[in-house]
Amino acid sequence: MPNPVEILGRAARRIAQVAAARTFAYAILPAIVATALGFSLHPLAHLTWERWGYVLGGGAEQTLFDGLLAVAGLMLAGGFAFAAAAYVRARDLVAVAEKVDEAVGGRQQILTLATLADPSAPDSAKRRRSPLFPVLWNSAAAFLESFDPRRAFPLALGRSITRSSVLASAIALGTILAAIGLIRTPTPLQAQASRLRELAAEIESTSSGPGDIAMADMAREAADALEDPKLTPEEKKQRIEEVMRQMASHSEERQGGGKEKGKGAGGGSAQNGKGSGSGQGQSEGKSNGSGSGSAKNGEGKGAGRNDKGQQGDDKRIELQNELSKAEAQIETEGASNQNSNSQPGGEKDRGESPEGGKPPEEKVQGSRPNPRQPGNIPTQSAQGNRNLPQSGTGRQSGKDQGSNLGDTHLGEFPTPAKAQRYLKPGEKGASLDIHDARYVMFRLPSATPVGSGGTTVIDPHRTKATTPYVNAPLKETSSDAPPDERQLVPPRYRDLIH
Amino acid sequence: MGAAPQASPDQRVAEFREVFRRAEQEVSRVIVGHQEVIRKLLTALFCGGHILIEGVPGLGKTLMCKTAADTLGLSFKRIQFTPDLMPSDIIGTQVLTEHDGRREFQFKPGPIFAHMVLGDEVNRATPKTQSAVLEAMEERQVTVFGVTYKLDPPYIVLATQNPIELEGTYPLPEAQMDRFLFKVIMNPPRPEELREILNRTTGTEVRKPEPIFDPKLAPQAIESLKTLVREVMVAEPLERYIIGIVSACTPNTPGAIPEVSQYLRFGPSPRGAQALMLCSKVNALLEGRVSVGYEDIDDAIVPCLRHRLLRNFQAEAENVTTESILEQVRKRLKRPRA
Repeated sequence: MPNPVEILGRAARRIAQVAAARTFAYAILPAIVATALGFSLHPLAHLTWERWGYVLGGGAEQTLFDGLLAVAGLMLAGGFAFAAAAYVRARDLVAVAEKVDEAVGGRQQILTLATLADPSAPDSAKRRRSPLFPVLWNSAAAFLESFDPRRAFPLALGRSITRSSVLASAIALGTILAAIGLIRTPTPLQAQASRLRELAAEIESTSSGPGDIAMADMAREAADALEDPKLTPEEKKQRIEEVMRQMASHSEERQGGGKEKGKGAGGGSAQNGKGSGSGQGQSEGKSNGSGSGSAKNGEGKGAGRNDKGQQGDDKRIELQNELSKAEAQIETEGASNQNSNSQPGGEKDRGESPEGGKPPEEKVQGSRPNPRQPGNIPTQSAQGNRNLPQSGTGRQSGKDQGSNLGDTHLGEFPTPAKAQRYLKPGEKGASLDIHDARYVMFRLPSATPVGSGGTTVIDPHRTKATTPYVNAPLKETSSDAPPDERQLVPPRYRDLIH
Repeated sequence: MGAAPQASPDQRVAEFREVFRRAEQEVSRVIVGHQEVIRKLLTALFCGGHILIEGVPGLGKTLMCKTAADTLGLSFKRIQFTPDLMPSDIIGTQVLTEHDGRREFQFKPGPIFAHMVLGDEVNRATPKTQSAVLEAMEERQVTVFGVTYKLDPPYIVLATQNPIELEGTYPLPEAQMDRFLFKVIMNPPRPEELREILNRTTGTEVRKPEPIFDPKLAPQAIESLKTLVREVMVAEPLERYIIGIVSACTPNTPGAIPEVSQYLRFGPSPRGAQALMLCSKVNALLEGRVSVGYEDIDDAIVPCLRHRLLRNFQAEAENVTTESILEQVRKRLKRPRA
């Protein structure tokens, strides 16, 4: 005859384990969802709001990530605490007896036995026993003879997890709402940083060696510096320049290595020499270096440049361009800040963007039109900003000399004598003198003219230059510079410049 | 059959079930139908309570009680309650007797001195006479001229009440109603039962019950079984369930359900809880268990409490019965978790 109290003890342990597991199961799905959301925040951002032109501003992405991880941690910790409490609570012998009673259909005989044989209160329980207690004991033992706690109380977690999906959904919904609440239109610097990170990721994905990875890291550093609110514009600029210098030296090293090896191997072969001259990738340099001096060999190795190397080069160039744009953007913002700080009246005196049909005098409160002041510059994109004429300094002009790194500050730009501005309707201002201009501002057609078939065409109503000029090509500063660095105007717009 | 004092608990339980089963069987040999009433009558006997039977005349109330007494070997007396019935007619009185030339008062016991007393149409007696029965029912003793006489156990009063012809009646006061363990309703027989009644009572065959106990041993045996009933165990959560039921039936208390507060003036007294507990114990024993279950309590709710609830005017106007209120209580009340 089994001892019912022992069986109840085993059942109590089993019920406590099941209760703890079920309680903890409530926390698992929400914790997983919170963690997954936290780690997939970046990809989600790429797929959604960043695609639509928004960013999580002011470190919000990190805050959201930290918050989600904290939620996951709290869920797990809470789940553990509740599970422990459930374990302790579920071990109550009388409560267990009631469950066992229901499981075996004992009509409260097991329950009564437990109340009268509770080991935790043996004296009071004994006092309440009647002469019929042995009958009850035998009856309970008969019920529990074939009772298996594991079979009677299976570890079924499905219900808990299903129920916890409500909480998980709430977390997901909360995250979505928080993201919606935190997304902002990116500042030009943020957009630039985002672009740099994208490039870094692309470079990394097409990496052909440690050099590319280092470059990607540099790009990320630059992006971080751009977004770091603690840094002043000067410091940001310094960081960008430093990154650019590192990239330049890195690029030169790679190029130089290729040349040396190629030259050393090529000897008198013109073809080999040519191959080495354009060699930039590691594979190219190595192959040239191992050449035996035969022109054939040199050509063969030169043609062996893989797609990755070519892609890497393209990305590198693109990255350099983006860095330059970022630098220009910092300068623009720095100048804007400087102006707003130096001018008396601060924000009050800050110029506003002129609106069509209104003279700038009505808007601009400053003493003198400043071409660097954002309010005085017709609104344009970051790419447009990098093409703005900059006041020449020694550093900038020095950078321009002999650089083939895609610097947009090519040469010493003349300071425009007059600021561009909108004119009142019917007003004819002085014609712009663009004799000295190396860059011109051009206006894209505001709408595709009827009958153009959707293609980009020359705007027949465009403002035409009255002064004869020559659209002379830029002075070549380096014979090694790739064609796309010699002219920064995108090819599809070149026809529009007259 | 007699109770063996040295019998094991198992044997005692088995004996109880056997006695009960046989008593039901023997009464049913004479009485057609009314199984529930027979069961409640026997339950009340083993609980040590009294029973109020309500039904129209001619349903066999008196015959049932007499048959039960004959079956169990108990003495039986019948009192027909009338408006002119005096307490002394029930309890007994001192009469002057002459013995060996000496005159002295001698107590002549009334019909209340029996194991099983049937008070027929109890609501026809005056309140003064009704109250004379109260002491006997509750104290199991009567006092005449300052002398107290004990009533021999087992003692049970079976009172009947006619729900019609209420003119000239004195409805039982609440205090007296509360002294009855059960109130059972005897319904008219169904057609097949009526046919069986006709066959049994209009033929030549006369059915008589077979006594279970020797009349000399019957009181002791029944008292032993009554003790067994009180030994049945009740777990603490079930005690709380009983208390919850009584609280739920008490209007304007935190545990009361809305219907109770709406339709009742007064709820059950502690005697109601005692009745529930005892009746549940008998129910458990009849199932062969020595501990009470929730279903045993549920089965006892209506017969134990229906006559202890005092309806208000609204309930009477809307014809809301105490049975329907108790049904609501049973449905609404959650069984307490351990």
